[in-house]
Amino acid sequence: MKGPFESKALVACLVIPALSVMVFAMLIPLGFSIYYSLTDWSGFGVYRFIGLENYREILMDDAVFWRALWNTLLLMLVTILIQNPIAFALAAVLTHVSKRLSKVLRTIYFVPAVLSLVIIAKMWVSIFNPTYGVLNKALVAVGLQSLAVSWLSNPHTAIWAVIFIIVWQGFGWAMLFYYAGLMTVPKDLEEAARVDGAGWFATYAYIIVPYLYPVIGAVVIIDVISSMKQMELILLSTAGGPGQLTQFLGVYLYQKAFAAGEYGYGNALSVLFVAISIGLTLLARRAMPAAAT
Amino acid sequence: MKLRTWLLHSLLVLPSLALSADKVTVKMGDNLPDRTNGWGAVVETINAEFKAANPGVDIVTESYPDQPYQEKIKIYATAKQLPDVFKYWSFSTLLKPMVDGSFVVPLDQASFAKYGYLPGALESNVYNGKLYGIPVSADLWVVYYNKKLFKDAGIDKLPATLEEMVALAPKFKAKGIIPMTTDGKDAWPLAITFDQLVWRLSGDATLPRQALARKIKFTDPVFVKAATLLQGMVRAGMFQEDLGVSDYGASRNLFGQGKAAMYLMGSWELGLATDASFSEGFRANVDVFKFPTVASGKGKTDDLFAWYGGNYVVSAASKNAALGVKYLEFYAKRFPAIAWEKQATFPAQTVAARPNDSPVAKSLLRIAAEAKATSGTAALDLSTSAFKEDIQNAIRELSSLLVTPEEFTAKVDAAAAKAARKQ
Repeated sequence: MKGPFESKALVACLVIPALSVMVFAMLIPLGFSIYYSLTDWSGFGVYRFIGLENYREILMDDAVFWRALWNTLLLMLVTILIQNPIAFALAAVLTHVSKRLSKVLRTIYFVPAVLSLVIIAKMWVSIFNPTYGVLNKALVAVGLQSLAVSWLSNPHTAIWAVIFIIVWQGFGWAMLFYYAGLMTVPKDLEEAARVDGAGWFATYAYIIVPYLYPVIGAVVIIDVISSMKQMELILLSTAGGPGQLTQFLGVYLYQKAFAAGEYGYGNALSVLFVAISIGLTLLARRAMPAAAT
Repeated sequence: MKLRTWLLHSLLVLPSLALSADKVTVKMGDNLPDRTNGWGAVVETINAEFKAANPGVDIVTESYPDQPYQEKIKIYATAKQLPDVFKYWSFSTLLKPMVDGSFVVPLDQASFAKYGYLPGALESNVYNGKLYGIPVSADLWVVYYNKKLFKDAGIDKLPATLEEMVALAPKFKAKGIIPMTTDGKDAWPLAITFDQLVWRLSGDATLPRQALARKIKFTDPVFVKAATLLQGMVRAGMFQEDLGVSDYGASRNLFGQGKAAMYLMGSWELGLATDASFSEGFRANVDVFKFPTVASGKGKTDDLFAWYGGNYVVSAASKNAALGVKYLEFYAKRFPAIAWEKQATFPAQTVAARPNDSPVAKSLLRIAAEAKATSGTAALDLSTSAFKEDIQNAIRELSSLLVTPEEFTAKVDAAAAKAARKQ
């Protein structure tokens, strides 16, 4: 007896809608982007083809592009190396507390993830404000006025303040993934390890973490993609300033295309952006242990 | 029974469909999200009068704050979805690309000349010999100040020079008052101030234009000196600490809420004195003074940095373009009287002083009347959009103390050279 999926026509009917969405929403716009990236179009009126000039300028002369790329990589590293272990540790703690407390804490930790980015940005801009912000008021109250700076506009603190907001906002997701993963670890595995004399560290290091490699791999890939996509929080908090110290690729290409009217240049940035995103995602997949991918 | 109900229903619905088909909706866009105060309220009054005079016309307005609005309009232009009538700016960075791309309709200059525009106002909207927008405001670069905060800090005399103004910073700070605020995030106010300082130093308002035309260089000593003075204001603690992330609304609120003694901004903020969202105490104490001279400079106090920026234009792709032009005529006729009555902004048309004008309005009228020379548009709006973005980025770095005045002027000069090559 033939199964329904052996009919090629049926398979085609099922695949074509999704494929069309992919083609129209991604491939065709990407094609347009590549086309405009070879021009000096300002967004209106006439334009001329300038070959790979936009790409040459970005890669050879544009210090802001490299700053934005570096900030993206920095965010990625902080997310993967600092946010992830903390989220994992906290998720592990949540599996050992009472169900009721775990539920309450999970809700609290997840709140930032469900808040609107506009609210988050405005809230942190207010908290960090040097004139009426809560953070500096608290520092002054405990006698630490020397630490009270203008967090988002001070060149030494701005990028860390921005990364902190992003990590704070994304923390809940990572924790939720790890918590869900930890709940699937078979109890008999842990018990067997304990019977064999493994302490809690050895149990986690040699049993639980390897068991969760697929989850860790997924979270790392999500971190890489979300670091690359970072835009709204930057635009709403510092818009890349002070100077260009907190510039990120997503914000920069938007500013170039729509504020500076360099639409062709902005498109070249977006093509590079897609290429770098794909490259980093593949790299992250390759860097993970085989079990994680 | 069912058929009868259907017929009855159709009889009731059809006339209303016919009525709605007759209704013309004019889509408008502007950068005035507050529709109950100031300029936004003036536009609402004009719209209500226009609708009353033109039955069957409805107006739908889309408003965003300044910079997002500019970006939105550029996106709409690219997507061929511009509003029928929209507020824009006369600058070559903004209006010229719209003219070059045939996005806006030419207007009959003679038919607008009768509405009492100030000298040069209509001309600032002329490209290729044709008028493309009607000017709405005369923009004077001034310093707003809070009289009460000056008194609280023990200051009884307005600063006549930049040096005197900077010397006030410690007195204000000792009282926990921010000496001065402005929109440092968007950076254009600092770029205008840079031009203002060049004029105050040299006594020549044309130097930035000459540098854009590559007759002189932005790296010349006068520009470096102006950048040094501007950065000196930051170093002396004149501005709010988070200048680099304070946008238009945040910096305006710091002043309106009585946290800052001065506000470096243009005459379109005349409405501060009548803005109901600020306290009565603030509104009674706000006034304005001329941007001070520089002690060693050749510029005079009556050299007024002024231009005609804001305008209204009609989309060339609009199906209601003729109605849009009719609206502009109505706007030109009604705007100065209503704007002055509400003390919302300083119109680009002649207005009659009234005894009950706010102190800010009286001061602005006096400053305009005393002007011996005016500057025209600032350099950032005289070149390409890319130059504008570049000089704003450079000035953000200068005001964040990330570059020296020499490095700043080198960056601006490189941006001007690039813009000159592309133009």
